[in-house]
Parts: sequence; structure tokens; C-alpha cells
Amino acid sequence: MSPASSLQRPASSCDRFGFLDDFAVREMRRGMLKALAIPGYQVPYASREMPIARGFGTGGMQLTLALAVPQDRLKVIDQGADDSVNAVNLRRFITASCPGLATTTRTAEATLIQTRHRVPERQLAPGQMMIYQVPYPDPLQIVEPSEAKRRRCHAHGDYARLWVKLYEDVVRFREVSISNRYPARVAGRYIIDPSPIPRWDLPKLHCSPVAHLFGAGREKKLYAVPPFTEVVPLAFDDIPFAVEGFRATDCSRHACATCGATDTFLDEIPQVGAPPRWLCNDQDRCAERQGYPDGA
Amino acid sequence: MVHETPVLSVAGLTRIHGRGCADCVRLTGDAAGRNVCPSCGSVVAVADISFDLWPGEILGVMGESGSGKSSVVKLLHLDDRASAGSAWFREGDGRRHDLVAVDEAEARRLRDTRFGMVFQNPHLGLNFGVSAGGNIAERLLCGGERRFQTIRETALGLLDRTEVPRARIDHQPGQFSGGMQQRLQIARALAPKPELLFLDEVTTGLDLSVQARILDLILEIQRELGVAMIVVTHDLGVVRLLAGRTIVLRHGRVVEAGLTDQILEDPQHPYTQQLVMSAL
Repeated sequence: MSPASSLQRPASSCDRFGFLDDFAVREMRRGMLKALAIPGYQVPYASREMPIARGFGTGGMQLTLALAVPQDRLKVIDQGADDSVNAVNLRRFITASCPGLATTTRTAEATLIQTRHRVPERQLAPGQMMIYQVPYPDPLQIVEPSEAKRRRCHAHGDYARLWVKLYEDVVRFREVSISNRYPARVAGRYIIDPSPIPRWDLPKLHCSPVAHLFGAGREKKLYAVPPFTEVVPLAFDDIPFAVEGFRATDCSRHACATCGATDTFLDEIPQVGAPPRWLCNDQDRCAERQGYPDGA
Repeated sequence: MVHETPVLSVAGLTRIHGRGCADCVRLTGDAAGRNVCPSCGSVVAVADISFDLWPGEILGVMGESGSGKSSVVKLLHLDDRASAGSAWFREGDGRRHDLVAVDEAEARRLRDTRFGMVFQNPHLGLNFGVSAGGNIAERLLCGGERRFQTIRETALGLLDRTEVPRARIDHQPGQFSGGMQQRLQIARALAPKPELLFLDEVTTGLDLSVQARILDLILEIQRELGVAMIVVTHDLGVVRLLAGRTIVLRHGRVVEAGLTDQILEDPQHPYTQQLVMSAL
């Protein structure tokens, strides 16, 4: 919670601030406290019906609605963009149901950042909080279909089959083929699915100064990476974890065609009859580097 | 070689499926000729099983189907928990554990790093969704090995040891012949250098020449690694070849125990006599 905000929310007998009823808010907050107390542990919660379908970000939305206070400034991104359909719709619903809540597209100014697929490139600071929309909360899902068995595996710290998946990848492709949702061990205990963020973003969770909260609406699970917590990607000792290189054939690093950055996650934009263009995926970071030319 | 303490010391091992009653054990067993308690309907899978297993020894467990052979192995391999009795396992470092009373975490550690299990049906012992190498790797990864090269080399070494061609390390077990699947199971079981190996009807269903090669392999492994084994079978030929000592089960009880040669040459119990006679 940002220092500016308090847990007090405006009381009103007819209008609900934040859409959720008191019981839902209390349940979500208790769930989040438990998730922060046991880093990486998947806390079950009720996942209320929302006016959008499950699977479209209801987990992240419920977290935001349960946490937001009027003093917060909210940023909603989808794939690094503030203006994509999913981000716009979620932002519109949240602001409509949280009167007084300000929104921003600038990472530096936001206190709550709800995201799908990306962590902002800009270094986060204490007072901010990340909220992730999660499609599949359990990293073991790819190796074990039964949830009952997965829970036993988590309880016993039995992640051997996940390691076998890594082994099989290295044997087949000479490298680990997981491009996003890369499993990582939190605080030396539970292994989490960090939601579909690219490998590039995973190191940003390690010892981050902010809390990262993950909400899966369809699967009804919450989990968290508290501030300043170890997040270690699963990797063999002799095959280190590596992020995307964005290297050209001559091994030089592609730069953003707009802002020239060589230290950001890039999108490849195919061009007809020309080599592809590479652009920053994080729109706000790109605009910030250019000094916000549009005054955004 | 003289060893002072057994690897495994089993006393009064009992497993009752159902709610059980005071008379369960008394009303079942060899003398009663049944293993379902007439008073409460519980199934007495095994009762009052006692034996010692010494380092490097192969113990045969023989009996007809339903006699409780596999139940004994399941209890000792911690796939099922006993209702009563004790089974003291001594680790290589001298620590002793009562397998009847160990907690889940300890049970997992023992299964992953100290025991090896080979099933009659390869589908129980192998993961058919991953390659042969992956099957061996899983056991090494359970034991905490995190170096890819080491895992790869160990897996190749084990395939050599069990005569599975190296070139097939990245193939799925589903593409293997029955005998090769069985050898892969043995390789997988041996991966963490276990101290106790359970072989449950490993040669049943294989043709005779393949059976012979598997049995040879088991004997070589025992000679080289000195690992203690419990071999469950209904095949007299297998116990004659492998086991120095044998126990014979019927209706969940030990009806005869002793040196294998002695049991096969001079069976005392009517059931064993019948078993030996019928094999001729």
C-alpha cells in the first residue's frame, strides 16, 4: 500500500466504492496478507463474478478493486501498452466503480500498476505496487494435470518433474524453450508461475522494492512476491538462465527505432520489402526517453 | 563377509484394509484359509510378517497371487502405510528409520534417494511422456543434482550398465521393446545409487531369453554394487537363481522361511510342497 493511501475507503450506503462488497474486499485483503506472508504460496479465494468474463483479467481486477483508495493513481497496461483494448476496458471499469481514483500512463507517477504480460522497464520504487492478471497460477500445470497432486507436490517441495521438463528442453532444443511464464523459486521455497511475462522481466522481480501481487480469476488463486524477496529462475548450474538478447545476425543489439534504447524489451514489426523495425514494447518508457513529445 | 546389522529388520508387519476388529488377525491367515475377516469384513492383506535383510543380500518373496507379496513391497517402499508392526531401515550413514512410522517428508526422501523400485508393468515405473534420459534424470533431480552435464553422463553410464543402446537416450520409452523397458526401469531405479532395491515380478511376461538377460543383469548389479534386494516373484526359477534366502507367503502370512535351496529341495509346508511339485 502506498504511504499516501490509507485503508479507509469512502463509506456510502448506496454506492459501492470499488464494486466489490465488504466481505469480498475483506477476503481479498486477508488472502493478500497470507500470500505476502508465505511468498509464492497459492492462496485460494472465492473470485467473485465480475462484469467481464473470467479469463479476461478478473483476478488482477479484483485485486485492484480490493486495494484501491481514492488517493491512488492507477496505471493499467496490456503488453506494455496503455491504450490496448483490454487495458482501456479494465481502466474504464475500475475508474467508473472507484470515483475519485486518478489514472496515469506514466510509470513513475503510478501507485498501483495492473498489468498483463509486462513489468514496466522503469525501475519501480517503494510506494508502488504491481498487480498481475494471471491465466495459469500453477507452474506444475504443464507437467501434472491433477490439482490435488500438484498441491501435494508444492507441499513437499517436489519440483522434480518441472526440472525434467527443463532437461527435456535442453536435450531437444539445446536451450530451455520457455519464453514466458518462466518458473522461478521464491524465497527459496515455492516455485511460482510469474504469469506470462517474458523472460526479460523475470530478473525485475528479484529483490524488487515493491510488492508483486498475482491474481488468477478463473483459477481462483492469489500469490505474491513481497518486496526485497529472492526470485531465482529455475536453471541448471551449467546452463545459466538468459534473457532475450535481441541480437542481429552480426551480434549487435537491436535498438528501438523510435527512442534508440538498447536496454528494453523490443517488439519486432515486420515490414513489406524492408528489414523489420524494432520498437520498445513498453510505450511509457519509450515516450519518457523522448521527453513525452505528445505531452502524454 | 560378516555384517553386524541388517539393512532392513521387519517385525510383525501388518496391513488391514477396512476398519478392522480385535479378531481380524486371529480369524484369518493360513490356518483359517482366508484373508477376509468373517467378523468385520476387513481384508487382512498381510499380518505378522517378520524377516531380516542383510547388506548385499537378495531375499526372495514367493507366493500365489493374492498372497500379499506385492503388499509387503508396497509397505516397505512406503507407497502404502502399515497398520501395525515395525520395519527398521538402516541407512548407509548408520541412521535408522522405522518405515512404519516415518513422516511423509522423510518417506519421500527415502523413496527418492535410498530406495529403488522396478515394477512388473513398465507403465507404473516409467514416465512415458518423457525420454529415456528424462526418466533417469528425474531420479537424479529428485536427489538434488542440478548440473546438466553430470546428469547426462550419469544417464549414459546407466544405460551402458543396463545394456540399453546409448543412441536411444533421447527416445521415448514407448518406442522400446518390453525387455528394454524393463532394463530402463532398472537403470532408473539405480540412478540415485539406492541402498535397497525392490523388484516386483520383473521378468513376468517376458520371453525366456530376455528373462535370462534381465536376471543376469540383476546378479551383476548385486555383485558390483552390493545393493540389498527384495525380489517378489511366483516363479521358482527366479528365486532359485537370484535369492539366497526366501520367504513363502500365503493368505498374508509367512508360511515358510529359510535358505532357498532348502525350501526348494525339502519344502515343509503343504502349500510350498504343492508349489514345488507343480513346477516340475
